[in-house]
Amino acid sequence: MKTAALLALCLLGPSPVWADARPSGELTVALSSFATEVLDPVLGGHGVKFYLALIFDYLIGVTPDGQLSPDLGIATAWEPSADHKRWTFTLRRGVRFHNGDELTSSDVKWSLLRAISKRSTTGYAGVLRALLQDIETPAPDRVVIVTKEPTLVIPPYLSRALSSEGMILPRKYVEAVGDDMFAQKPIGSGPYRFVEQVTGSHVKLTAVERHWRLGTPKYRIVTFRVVPEEATRMAMVRRGDVDVADVSRDRVREMERAGFPIYYRNNDALLHLWWILPWDRVPVRDKRVREALNLAIDRREIAATIFGGKAEPAGVPFGLTWGFRDVRWRNAETDQYPFDPARARKLLAEAGYPRGFPISIFAYQLPALPEGKEMAEAVSGYWQKIGVQPKLIPVDYPAFRKQWVDRAAPGAVGYYNLPNRDWIGTYTLLEKFAHTPSKPTDTVADPEIDGMLEAILRETDREKINVFMRRIFARLRSEHYGVPLVYLHTPYVTSKRIAHWNPGSVMLDLNIDELAAQR
Amino acid sequence: MARFLLTRLIQSVATLVLLSLVIFVLARATGDPLTLILPMVATEEDFANARRYLGLDQPLHVQYLMFVGKAAAGDFGTSIRARRPVIELLRQRLPSSLALGAFSMAVSLLIAFPLGVLAAVRKGTALDTGAKIVAALGQALPTFWVGIVLIEIVAGRLQWLPAGGNDSPAHYILPGFTLGWFVIAGLMRLLRSSMLEVLDSDYVKTARAKGAGEPAVVWRHALKNALIPVVTFAGVYFAILVTTAIVVETVFAWPGMGRLAYEAITARDFPVIQAVVLVTAVIVVAVNLVVDSLYACIDPRIRIDPRRP
Amino acid sequence: MKRPPVVSAAIILGFVLLALLADVVSPGDPYEQTLRARFTPPAWEAHGSWTHPLGTDRLGRDLLSRIIFGARVSLAAGVVTVLLAGFIGAGVGLVAGYHRGRVGAILMRVTDATLAFPIILLALILAVTVGPSFTNVVIAIAVILWARYARVIHGEVLALMEREFIAQARVIGCSAGRIIVVHLLPNTLNTLIVLLTLQVGYVIIVEASLSFLGAGIPPPAPAWGSMVAEGRDVITTAWWVSFFPGLAILLVVLAFNLFGDWLRDVLDPKLRQQ
Repeated sequence: MKTAALLALCLLGPSPVWADARPSGELTVALSSFATEVLDPVLGGHGVKFYLALIFDYLIGVTPDGQLSPDLGIATAWEPSADHKRWTFTLRRGVRFHNGDELTSSDVKWSLLRAISKRSTTGYAGVLRALLQDIETPAPDRVVIVTKEPTLVIPPYLSRALSSEGMILPRKYVEAVGDDMFAQKPIGSGPYRFVEQVTGSHVKLTAVERHWRLGTPKYRIVTFRVVPEEATRMAMVRRGDVDVADVSRDRVREMERAGFPIYYRNNDALLHLWWILPWDRVPVRDKRVREALNLAIDRREIAATIFGGKAEPAGVPFGLTWGFRDVRWRNAETDQYPFDPARARKLLAEAGYPRGFPISIFAYQLPALPEGKEMAEAVSGYWQKIGVQPKLIPVDYPAFRKQWVDRAAPGAVGYYNLPNRDWIGTYTLLEKFAHTPSKPTDTVADPEIDGMLEAILRETDREKINVFMRRIFARLRSEHYGVPLVYLHTPYVTSKRIAHWNPGSVMLDLNIDELAAQR
Repeated sequence: MARFLLTRLIQSVATLVLLSLVIFVLARATGDPLTLILPMVATEEDFANARRYLGLDQPLHVQYLMFVGKAAAGDFGTSIRARRPVIELLRQRLPSSLALGAFSMAVSLLIAFPLGVLAAVRKGTALDTGAKIVAALGQALPTFWVGIVLIEIVAGRLQWLPAGGNDSPAHYILPGFTLGWFVIAGLMRLLRSSMLEVLDSDYVKTARAKGAGEPAVVWRHALKNALIPVVTFAGVYFAILVTTAIVVETVFAWPGMGRLAYEAITARDFPVIQAVVLVTAVIVVAVNLVVDSLYACIDPRIRIDPRRP
Repeated sequence: MKRPPVVSAAIILGFVLLALLADVVSPGDPYEQTLRARFTPPAWEAHGSWTHPLGTDRLGRDLLSRIIFGARVSLAAGVVTVLLAGFIGAGVGLVAGYHRGRVGAILMRVTDATLAFPIILLALILAVTVGPSFTNVVIAIAVILWARYARVIHGEVLALMEREFIAQARVIGCSAGRIIVVHLLPNTLNTLIVLLTLQVGYVIIVEASLSFLGAGIPPPAPAWGSMVAEGRDVITTAWWVSFFPGLAILLVVLAFNLFGDWLRDVLDPKLRQQ
């Protein structure tokens, strides 16, 4: 109650510090691709987080480097019961949606249920569906999540570190206007409210007067524009029409020379190649073949040339480094694959393929990876040099995905720029990519890894989780389950008026918060 | 006349029905839209849920009949990707496409007219050759390359004009010119050759004999007649604009129909693909119908002209 | 009579020879990649060298060799597409013009529907459905382009049908097939040849646009269109990557268009209206 009174005082009382600092001006962010462009969090998933995170608050906030924080989300505290089957969240008081309604435990419960409903396509909802038993709301500022089994994964799953399941929506408003209207005119409790959207063009937001997360926002208007063509985006930056834009690694130097600041999201993604399952009739079933294909590639050369030096060699399949930190994985130096075509040839000969074998490589473009096809061509070139006969198959991603999940091309190669993420994010990724039972997207068939992944979900001792995660990484590396290629640094160019920006290291999140905060 | 109109109208509707069937089948041949709207880690359960929600679990013929029935009433369903009514997307995109189309048509007419007429009048001179080269370049350079070079120089280096978006009148200049240049060539050639023909006709010879001054002959008597084939070109012109617009809209981040079609195809967004193709076709067919009818009004012989069945 | 376009003919002939003799005249292998040598400028620029007279592309492949081998790919795409479209279009136009009843009406409705369908959309749909490839690009363009020929040929045939010699052929009992092949086809051949020539350039340009949208002839095949599209992002830092293939396109398309214009004046003056 005392807190509420204090807050009311802050809200209503005269405040000399904030009085003259009203949001003004505009911030425009131009991106080459916009994912699905939806405005309803349950229809979106992490692809649209970069703008939805300004409209909505998460149950649990994260710091720019991805640590869960009681200061940046709706929950100011959370703790498990002794058996780790009841998670109690204490909610921030006095948070209001853009229409004035107060955010309470009823909104939180309703939002979570909506996120795991059948309508939801957020993507990480599956695990929550399996785990959740009940959600209790003993008080307007208390939510208790009851799970079927003991677990540690609830807070990170509902945080800004992952996808959109943890976004809190206004129950009354959505119930009043309906799902379809909400999807067109969303209302949240975030520092910016929705103004308009023209699909294929832009999403425009405007600042609220004051917000608990950012204080008084700096810019009155924030616009996200989709500008697919590199030349156009750069011209817009040069003319001052745009403040933040993604820039191709090829043009970083040119923009830098023209005096525009460049900011990097370092190790933003792991470029990872895999072989489509099942392997029982194809050469890559042999561990030596998998190692040979890894040794044949000069990762340093690829990083230095195709990625213009804005990348570093990777050595562990699915080795997402932001997760390494959390589980204390060993120093990555020993993981590196040397470039050793001679040994690769020898391994192939030992495995019974002295003359190589044909292998198909799907070549496709992905968002944030303009170099995709080039990289595929380069890998094909390296493999050719150890006697393998690669065949490039140009497709677009959805066509490839069909081949992959239908298991229509065993042993053929696909790739993805896996967004880097913390341990729980890495876990969710492995759960889809390396957990065999009933997963069409699986790329690794290994019962030992399956067992460890299942154990983690029920483990309540964090240190034991770390041990499991380290053992999984070790096995992925020693069995050569895939071709980890490089870690990509993603450059962003800004206008000259942006003096400082940390684009952060949260999966698919640009930390626009920092730019939008008054400093 | 009424009979002619009726026949043409029935033919047009038949054409559109045929097209609706083709595009329905083609759109579905592109594959599964859900792979793109669902996150990479989505399960088969997520897929089944989304499919049911979007009505994609219905039998194909039911989907087709629903599509045609609703489309006739102006309802094109819900976009799979953006999850909002397709008609709303069209309402956002069609006007900006038409605006750009009109602007670039104006640009190309402004350039093609004087050039085409002068080239015909001064046939064989340096001016004729120059005009031909300007026109030919427009058709011999890939549009996207022209657009990008213009952006790099005019917007990026000189910073004279904006590059992306459609916020102000200045935003029309670069994309309008890029789009227009491609059709200038066609227009100019058409105008030049039809001018040459008219200038050689008895009609013009009579005008000259009657003592009309050369400028009057060219601009009043000859041009009026030379325009007829140019007007016929309008329908074709529009179809070309739509096609080229996909490229130009991508380059200039222009929120138009072409870009909408491109996004829809790469996202396998059936309802949007169907709507864009159908709306484009309706416009092309309607323009042709109007042009033909006007023609038939002006010149009754056209009605039996074997060249315009 | 206009004077024959010697320069255009020479350019076309030159590129055809390059295409045929690519293995002999090309200085190197168009597929050989040397990542370390990527974006080497043309020989006359600073840091250029005569090993790569026109410089190298993103994967360090020799541009000159790729352009020479590209002549094969791009010319073949242009010529094969118009021939295929011309074959279908002429067939439809002839049949529809001869059988003016229901058959003709149905064929011409199909033609109209096709004409109302934007080429690039169809090509994009095909590319995402079955994957982009040389064959698919050719099919995608031809599947729409034929309708233009069908329209024109149909008109010609309708006019021919009014002529005396067709009536005579009918009277003496010639079959429909014989009338179409022996009497109608030869009389429309000039028109067809002119249209085909004029459209080769158009097809090459459309293929380039498709490459820009990711639906053209895919790498590593050295098609000019995809080379220009690949180089567009580095226009400011490595202009040669898109400039030289672009120049090749420009020359060939101009040559075909000018040559086609001349052919039209010579063979079929009345086509000027089309």
